Amino acid sequence: MFKILGIMCILAGCLGWGISRIGEERGRVRNLRELISIITRIRDEIAYGKHTMPEICLILAQCCSPAYRDCFRKIYDQVEEGRGAPFDQIWKRQTDECLRGVPLTEEEKDVLKEIPQSLGMQEERLQAESVERLAGLLVRHCRKAEEAYENKSKVILSVSVLTGIFITILLI
Amino acid sequence: MKRDEIIQMFPEYLRAGWEKTAEQADGLQEIRMRVNRPATVLIGCREKFVDKNGGLMDMPPKDADVTAEDLEAILKHLCRYSVYAFADEIRRGFLTIQGGHRVGLSGQVILEEADRVRNLKYIRYLNIRIAHEIKGVSDALLPRLYDGTGALYNTLLISPPGCGKTTMLRDLVRNVSDGNAFGAGVNVSVVDERSEIAGSYMGAAQNDVGIRTDVLDGCPKREGMMMLIRAMAPQVLAVDELGGSDDIQALRMAYGCGCRLIATIHGGSLDEIIHKNYMRDVIRDRLFERYVVLTRKSGRCEVEGIYNGDGLHV
Repeated sequence: MFKILGIMCILAGCLGWGISRIGEERGRVRNLRELISIITRIRDEIAYGKHTMPEICLILAQCCSPAYRDCFRKIYDQVEEGRGAPFDQIWKRQTDECLRGVPLTEEEKDVLKEIPQSLGMQEERLQAESVERLAGLLVRHCRKAEEAYENKSKVILSVSVLTGIFITILLI
Repeated sequence: MKRDEIIQMFPEYLRAGWEKTAEQADGLQEIRMRVNRPATVLIGCREKFVDKNGGLMDMPPKDADVTAEDLEAILKHLCRYSVYAFADEIRRGFLTIQGGHRVGLSGQVILEEADRVRNLKYIRYLNIRIAHEIKGVSDALLPRLYDGTGALYNTLLISPPGCGKTTMLRDLVRNVSDGNAFGAGVNVSVVDERSEIAGSYMGAAQNDVGIRTDVLDGCPKREGMMMLIRAMAPQVLAVDELGGSDDIQALRMAYGCGCRLIATIHGGSLDEIIHKNYMRDVIRDRLFERYVVLTRKSGRCEVEGIYNGDGLHV
């Protein structure tokens, strides 16, 4: 009876590990898609709305997912406080905090963190193009992540089950 | 409030110095900054130099020169780190910031085809003109701007730069919109091409332009007038700084639609206006029934005279 219970626990543990790994991959893809949609929205607001960056932060705070909502709201609020702190510092601090623990590589996180460095163009079309290039970088990463997710998920699940069986056999 | 607005024009690292200057915000008319030169301010028509601690001096101070980095940081800050959003304004040589203050820019021009200005680079000269909202400044004009039946005369405010045209127009719009002892409140539409009248921020007027006033912010006058007539059906249409035959044509169309008009124009006197090519027909046709000429005497802005459509004192 205890042996069967133990076997079940080992199998469930291994399966759980596998599912959590798959979840991480899925989370990565979801976060990449979210970042792409944020950057695309920034581009659109620059190109069509000619909104300033603080205004764009307010728009994003109203429309993006809860995970990023607070971050953009805080950026907007801090700029509007009027203390004169440089926008790029406020942006970096808040995005740093928001992206902490998010399953993305540093390179991917830097795309969002370093948006203020791509600002400074004196024409909205050029500025929008410059932001679009950042979105393009993430799109490539996202495509790779999606492919990896498709391929890896089945393998991870199989490996986790097989590992569970292997450990069970060893222990028996 | 005005003090805070002035301090907020500067990035964090420059604020300590400007706080002292901003204490005199009420009389502050202008801040001029030139690269490798000390900043100057105009307070009550008197020019003062600003030292590095924000103190005001009669003679140019030493070691208080404005650097190119300072100017770039100020411009970036004024543009809310979004220079692209102010591209059109920069091209025209000025931008209007929160509070309706106007920042004149000068530097090196980038030309495109047909010698048109494409942009400005190396912006090394700034002239910040502080907007002043003075409620009640137009009160004394009102008896002569209404006919006996409560209808507003089409009115043109004439003044040289810096004599309070826009301040007068803003207060007149407020009075006409809210209503006053000489006429009931009516719907007023304002084409605020340079955001100086209403001082709009994110589309909402920050200056008091009256409870029945609609503002079209940042739109060229000609297009703006037609848009407002079609969209908002105003009883009174107000525009600042008529500057060419296009503006006059749109004004005539507005007049044809039955709107009463309030406008301003640069000029030292009614005679000077008559000699502007694009104004000659307007004056001959008596499009305006009242001309208010503003002037500056011993440092103070005042009304020099009010004239009727025939150019006679009223």
